[in-house]
Amino acid sequence: MLRLAVLLLLAAAPASAEIVSGSSFLSPEMRRQQEDETRNPGFFWVEQGQELFSRRPEAGGEACIGCHAAPQRSLRGAAATYPKLVSERLMNLEGRIEQCRVERQKQPAFGYESPELLALTAYIASLSRGLPMDVAIDGPARPFYEAGRAFFERRQGQLNLSCRHCHDGLVGQKLRGDTISRGASTGYPAYRLEWNSVGSLHRRLRACSLGVRATQFEAGGPEYLALELYLAGRARGLPVETPAMRR
Amino acid sequence: MAIPFNARISMPAEAKAGEIIEIKVLARHPMDRGGQSDGKGGTVPRKILNRLTATYAGEEIFRFDMHTGVSANPFVSFTTKAVASGEIVFEWREDGGASFTRTARLTVT
Repeated sequence: MLRLAVLLLLAAAPASAEIVSGSSFLSPEMRRQQEDETRNPGFFWVEQGQELFSRRPEAGGEACIGCHAAPQRSLRGAAATYPKLVSERLMNLEGRIEQCRVERQKQPAFGYESPELLALTAYIASLSRGLPMDVAIDGPARPFYEAGRAFFERRQGQLNLSCRHCHDGLVGQKLRGDTISRGASTGYPAYRLEWNSVGSLHRRLRACSLGVRATQFEAGGPEYLALELYLAGRARGLPVETPAMRR
Repeated sequence: MAIPFNARISMPAEAKAGEIIEIKVLARHPMDRGGQSDGKGGTVPRKILNRLTATYAGEEIFRFDMHTGVSANPFVSFTTKAVASGEIVFEWREDGGASFTRTARLTVT
């Protein structure tokens, strides 16, 4: 009877229940380093972001904190809802920060992957640390989510692989020196040992595209935004870990 | 924008006289080993933190010479014996002559 109940429970669990964070594939030593603020270098970017957040732009105008007062409260959980639709455009956290900077602060955009944008993104995402990923995948976001799923399932590149071949089919096995994960995006922007730096999810996706010798799309472009939404949708319920450490 | 230097020093704020304390030091630095083309026919010079020293109670208690094999954002931990209340001064020396200093206070009871 008990066994039947367990079986029923397993059958009723959503498919995403099997998605686990990239941290599950780290060595115990590296996971301890990730959790330890004194040893995780990603917190330098968070600290820099916090500083930028309250600094007025050199050309004058309001600092981020001028509108977003008490960000520990007012922006807690915000990052967990991205990417999302903002006036019919799909935007991730990086895009939203740039939009704020250009349209409200009237400043030139930082540029994707610039140290400043990475720092601000890491800071704002870190305010949601521990909260469950909570992106909307229904309603107007549905077509983008489906586009992301189609990207994930489509064979690409000279190696003719889709994302799911590895990130659903070969999870836990080795690829070069690393363990293949579920492709959960919960820790980005993350500090990767390979980069010696914090980098965005789209930088990571470009590396994946290169790995299967497929077209590398532009960071911040519609292809990776849709994929980011799909990955975030798959990881719904997992805690945000920014700034995570990855190999 | 250049990556700003930053450091995190973690150690107990208080210790008993004679107690062994652990000091953990993480610095933010790209540790550029140089040698890449600068696009103008030359090469980018090496720019790393080449030495970290810690001074406590008027004495150098720790020195760490770093070379190009040390990763970016170098982390190191070491121990020392608490002898007197005072500041521990950490100094990083960068290629090109710049140096960065941070201090941490230890109260000995």
